[in-house]
Amino acid sequence: MSVKMAAPILRSCLGRALAGPHDIGRTKPAWLAMALVAISFLSYPAIASSFSATNVAYYLLNIPMAFGLSLLWGYGGVLSFGQVAFFAVSGYVYGIVSGNFPDATWATWAGSLAGLAAAAALAAALGYFIFYARVAAWIVPILTLVLALLLNTFLGLTAGAQWTIGQVALGGYNGMTGIPAFQIGSFVFQDYAFYYLVLGVVLVSFVGLRAFVNSHRGQVLMAIREDVIRTELLGYDVRLEQLFVFVLAAVLSGISGLLYVQWGNYITPSVTSLQQAALPVIWVAVAGRDSLLAVAIVTFLLNQLSYILSSAGNQYALVIIGVFLVAVMLFAPEGIVLRLVRLAQRFRIRKTEVA
Amino acid sequence: MSKNPHVLQAMALHKRFGGVVAANAVDFSLMQGELRCVIGPNGAGKSTFFTLLCGIQKPDSGRILLNGHDVTKLEPFRRVRFGIGLTFQSNRTFRMMSVSENLETARRGSMAADALHFRMALVAFGLADKLDLPTSRLAHHEMQWLEICMALGRAPTVLLLDEPTAGMSPAETMRTADVLKELNRAGLAIVVVEHDIAFVRAVAQTVTVLHQGAVFAEGTVDEITAREDVRNIYLGKVRSAAQ
Repeated sequence: MSVKMAAPILRSCLGRALAGPHDIGRTKPAWLAMALVAISFLSYPAIASSFSATNVAYYLLNIPMAFGLSLLWGYGGVLSFGQVAFFAVSGYVYGIVSGNFPDATWATWAGSLAGLAAAAALAAALGYFIFYARVAAWIVPILTLVLALLLNTFLGLTAGAQWTIGQVALGGYNGMTGIPAFQIGSFVFQDYAFYYLVLGVVLVSFVGLRAFVNSHRGQVLMAIREDVIRTELLGYDVRLEQLFVFVLAAVLSGISGLLYVQWGNYITPSVTSLQQAALPVIWVAVAGRDSLLAVAIVTFLLNQLSYILSSAGNQYALVIIGVFLVAVMLFAPEGIVLRLVRLAQRFRIRKTEVA
Repeated sequence: MSKNPHVLQAMALHKRFGGVVAANAVDFSLMQGELRCVIGPNGAGKSTFFTLLCGIQKPDSGRILLNGHDVTKLEPFRRVRFGIGLTFQSNRTFRMMSVSENLETARRGSMAADALHFRMALVAFGLADKLDLPTSRLAHHEMQWLEICMALGRAPTVLLLDEPTAGMSPAETMRTADVLKELNRAGLAIVVVEHDIAFVRAVAQTVTVLHQGAVFAEGTVDEITAREDVRNIYLGKVRSAAQ
């Protein structure tokens, strides 16, 4: 086949993957807006102090975890209340592995891989029992929440010398400190470089997951959400597909966990508390759970809001976020971004009808 | 094709739900290229028989062979991969998807080979020009036809249909019958559970009558409809007919 003939096919495959029907933001203006936003994020360090850039990196770093929950819950119909467990496991394992080889340049690589592998292994083990036993869907949020709270309790008990692994202390409720930043060779991702690392991870995961939800596998995931038995009787191993997404979501949580410990150089058991466990569910529900783009926008904004509120000494950050959730569930249960997009679509249709 | 002339065989299937015997020593065999209707009064065990065949329920005893493979203990999706396609009594197309997304889900991308029956059904049911519609905008009978097309997505060797014409007008029912006969002539083995005797007359070569979980009679349409005892069970004279 000549290149000329291949080009439209390639374009249609790529076009389908990135602008397929399963996310908002497919029109030309939407792509233009997304490009502008990406460019402004990319050029932000030029006008910002490294302190501000690091703050913005913090607002961004939970987006992969939110993406994972969006896949699992929004696209797959399985709610997890314990995504923070995989976040914490990944962060702690990264701290243990990379902290034990402070002089080796490969240590943070090994720590990252070990962290993600640990999150994936935990999800695979739990997910196997959940999905291969065909547990009813409403039990999954309870099981995953219990996982997060168990981990919270356990990590709180790890004070004392017997909980020192190599030269890294788990630290009980005070947590683990001195966790090194990610590095490639002798280049350490700090300040602006860390900002770009987070931004790159978010952009790549957005594009990759958008292609995933528009792939055949993504289509099957949405079929499972709608009717498990019909999907199984089209020849799909529903248990395997659900396990796959569960592990993928855990790895995405793990990525956020890695970025978090590299951002603050510490982690405490409080990241798996009941409050923290609820946050990803809130971000995704407020945004509109079956849209990656909506989830990215709202996760960024709500993280920024709660960071600004709590660093201003406001005790009510979580209360305000909670009120926000209740309001959205009452007035726009499909999510605030999706509601706005649909209103805009209806407005545009009415305008063309009038014209 | 294979040495075994049977596409589907059920041997002495038993299934009990508490005190109810839903399948009682059901023997059933379907030849390649056969079109069979399964009839019986409400509660005769037709739907249970279907759930046993496709694996949603596992029998208490007995065996099920599909193209010569013992599938008695296999999960439903594996049976589909071994050549079963089926539709349910209530329509279960994916309403939140478009028609083409339903079909793509059923087709495993556009890569699956030998989908002769799938293409035939798509054209014959006139769905090929409705691909971009949301499924929820289809008429009821079109949803039924769509689900039949979906069941053909993996190129099954036997198609099981549970009351495919329920809720259809006489004209739609006859069109369904015509398409099924066409598919059957193209080599597809089909089992239809049906209440509509006009439909059964139009399509069936052989009819199996289920009653109280057991095979009550089997024969041609004329033989079956002429039998006094079959008429009696449909009219509810259960005891006298069974004795």
